Amino acid sequence: MAVINENWVFVETDLQKINPVTYQLLTKMKQISHDPVVAVLIEKSDASLETELAEYGPDKILLIKDDELVDGDDLELTDALNKLIQKQGTPNTFIFPATVVGRSVAPRLQAWLRTGLTADCLDLKFEGDLLIQTKPSYGDNIMCEITIPNNHPQMATARPNVFAAEKQTNSNLKVEEIENLDWEKDSKLVIKSQLLPPKTTDDITQAERIVALGRGDKTDAGITVANNLAKKLHATVGVTRPLTDLDQYTVNEQIGQSGQTVAPDLLVNLGVSGAVQYTAGIANAKVVVSVNTDEHAQIFKYSDYYFVGNALEFSRALEAIL
Amino acid sequence: MDQKQTSKEILLRMVKSFTENEVAPFDMEIDHTRSYVNDLLNKIKKYDFLSTMLPEEYGGAGFDGETTAAVINEIAKGNASLGVTLEGHFKSIDQIVKYGNQALKDEYLPQAKSRIIAFSMTEPSGGSNPLGITSHAEKKGDKWIINGDKIMITNGGLAEIYCVMVKTAPKELSFFVVDNNMEGFEYGKQENFLGLTGVPVGEIVMNNIEVDENHLLGKVGMGKEIGDSAHNDARVLMGAVLTGIMEHELDIVTDYATHRKAMDTPIIQMQGIQRKVADIAVAKETTKLLYQKATWLKDHGQDYEEEAAMAKAYGSRSAVKSGDDALQILGGYGYSLDYPVEHLIRDARAMEIAEGTVEKMRTAIALIEARNRA
Amino acid sequence: MKIVVCIKQVPETTNVKIDEKTKNIDRRGLGGVINSYDLHALKTALEIKQAVGGEVITLTMGPDDFAVSLRETLALGADSSVLLSDRAFAGADTLATGYVLGKAIKKIADVDLVILGQQSVDADTGQVGPIMAELLQVPQVTYANEVTVKNDHLVIKRNLDNVAQEITAQLPLLLTVTDTINQPEYTNVVEIAKSFAKTITTWHASDLQLDDDRVGQAGSPTIVRSISSPEKTVKVGHKLADNPVDAAKELVTALKKQNILAEDD
Repeated sequence: MAVINENWVFVETDLQKINPVTYQLLTKMKQISHDPVVAVLIEKSDASLETELAEYGPDKILLIKDDELVDGDDLELTDALNKLIQKQGTPNTFIFPATVVGRSVAPRLQAWLRTGLTADCLDLKFEGDLLIQTKPSYGDNIMCEITIPNNHPQMATARPNVFAAEKQTNSNLKVEEIENLDWEKDSKLVIKSQLLPPKTTDDITQAERIVALGRGDKTDAGITVANNLAKKLHATVGVTRPLTDLDQYTVNEQIGQSGQTVAPDLLVNLGVSGAVQYTAGIANAKVVVSVNTDEHAQIFKYSDYYFVGNALEFSRALEAIL
Repeated sequence: MDQKQTSKEILLRMVKSFTENEVAPFDMEIDHTRSYVNDLLNKIKKYDFLSTMLPEEYGGAGFDGETTAAVINEIAKGNASLGVTLEGHFKSIDQIVKYGNQALKDEYLPQAKSRIIAFSMTEPSGGSNPLGITSHAEKKGDKWIINGDKIMITNGGLAEIYCVMVKTAPKELSFFVVDNNMEGFEYGKQENFLGLTGVPVGEIVMNNIEVDENHLLGKVGMGKEIGDSAHNDARVLMGAVLTGIMEHELDIVTDYATHRKAMDTPIIQMQGIQRKVADIAVAKETTKLLYQKATWLKDHGQDYEEEAAMAKAYGSRSAVKSGDDALQILGGYGYSLDYPVEHLIRDARAMEIAEGTVEKMRTAIALIEARNRA
Repeated sequence: MKIVVCIKQVPETTNVKIDEKTKNIDRRGLGGVINSYDLHALKTALEIKQAVGGEVITLTMGPDDFAVSLRETLALGADSSVLLSDRAFAGADTLATGYVLGKAIKKIADVDLVILGQQSVDADTGQVGPIMAELLQVPQVTYANEVTVKNDHLVIKRNLDNVAQEITAQLPLLLTVTDTINQPEYTNVVEIAKSFAKTITTWHASDLQLDDDRVGQAGSPTIVRSISSPEKTVKVGHKLADNPVDAAKELVTALKKQNILAEDD
């Protein structure tokens, strides 16, 4: 089948809302590709998600308005995407988010198309039309550069929150509505979906957001403010070793070598100095924000964002705008 | 791979995973609470650890000495106490297998799957001098009546079956197997030891316990031989426990020295630290080779008394010294009760005494060396 | 119910480094273990068998010494195993692997349910399950957190990013499971010896009626160009504004842009 000079991005929608990872993938593909970037959007007939999608500058939106396919299972989605390719031609690349949905649909489509698929990419770039995909293996301990030189589309799933989303206007945007895709229905699965409540957990090793309290904030006021901030953030409170002297904190809340190893998406350190025994426990935290009055505090070396100053004032300011 | 190798690999995979998930994370808590938290004793029974070296004809897994020691080594890396609890059980099974009459084996070995067996020689009046004991058994008709007081028993209070050494005549030592459900059996006081605090060490009191002739282990007068044999089996496995302790120490110091920096250089780059780390590694590997050689000899039906004594004597001294070096490398953290190093020293220290002191080991080694050249 | 559980043998730790000389992954001294997610898959299968009866067959592709891992599954309670071993399978990527495994499932025949772990911990792709499902033309449910058997169908729970799903699925089905679905058992020490009474069958390429160009390296569209150690992420800390209110605003904007905070946070 003819390969067309287009790079496709699958738009993930969860309960009729665009998953923000889509914007990240669109932005990245716009940055690296010399061919048009095409968003593949499936939505309900009365929806208009393409308006939001347009803000991130795709060159084209392939729009499939289909009330059933929106809630389709992986078998149905695969068949529909396959039919779409039969109709439009084989794109040079087809990128999916490395979410549950992307990681389930993309390999089915890959198998049908008998092409290559690289999972969970952390970086993408082009050499001519060849997509160079950087993929982690062994739990991110090894990086592999992978290519799919002889098959099309070159498929990849890309990890969420690796690429930054940037809004941009594209005056050349074309929206092409696809009708009569004639995908095959599957009646073997019945899916009921509902929104998940925000995740909070008492188990600090499982927490996705943590507010950590250090010796510098070991006061009643400090503890109260940290708890309030944590509540607003749906975060779990962690502490450094000195705070385990207090009745309310034990080794279960303690972060560090003699406590727990944590891996949250967001860690906010309040009055934590950054001793080696603490930082050993936070190596897997994704984004680290630290507040300390000492501008030379060690913890700043382990932080993505830091504020030099009073943790109480900062926490209250932060709490106020959340 | 043959069945034996495959079985060993599957077993060691499991033990490694069990230790990492169920034992090691609770090491400090076991030490501090002096008990097997995390329901460890039930888990050990559930997965049939107690049957590791129990012969297959009695419902066991029948692993050889080498594999059994490797299991203990791995578990002790997570927590030395649990390694010693298993060692105490295994050495007791070893003696029943070796010396028990068929009726005794048929009665007790199948129970070893779920009931811990202990081995007891020490009394208030004597430890390393067995003739100093006062416990005794008297023959009445076709029964033996046992009286006495045994102390400092590894797993004492936890074990349900005991191999006890008693006098059957003023200068005659013999072993009997008694059961905690027998009339006249009582548990006494528990010791409050410095290290290996997870292992219960306690006393049993025997008041006119009446047993059949088949509860006699071996023959009348074989007490010294059986005692020596149990010592040898215990010492091999203690070499494995000590290796596990030193592996634990190595894990701690290498992790710390790689991450701790002085003047922006990880301290592992400093010669003074390197010497200590290297010394611990050499001592660990030496102890491992010693116990492995002892198990090889044992599995091949050869004498392993000397290698067993070496593994325990060298291993215990080395593990204490290595722990001291580890403490020094970690500095204040090493000296803290919130870090594991100090309890590893206390744990290792126990094995300079238990199952024959290091001094007694040296005596044994020296005499064997002399005898081999005589 | 006839259930096939696909397992993979992986290195015992993912903490691997690259050998400076060979530029390959240094696996010296590393033993193999069953991929941890696959143990959850096996436990799921054994629980279903316990509930409704049937048989559990474990399947893997790899060199002959991977039979140890199959033997381990037998000790854990599987009824029989199949090892797919052939030099022709070497160098397979997920597509070629899924193809061979799919062919083996067809040969096993009358399989109601195929279960895999959500991904392997070495390659981290999670692709082989869906690839097999497509080749077998059966529906799939991936990343299952909970499975219950009701009469002739399964009720499965899974989570997307912020959506919870409950799926009623008819058989045949391919299922992949997360590590929260259950707590796998450890191998019982005594069961190891007993597992040798069960059978491991080895199938070679010639037993499976394969297209040569879909197997091994030839059947693998992806090429690994190079491997490297990840660059140590030295955090380049961004200093926030001096005024706490401005700093907080600056932070929230930045975190929302990276999706660390949601728009409605």
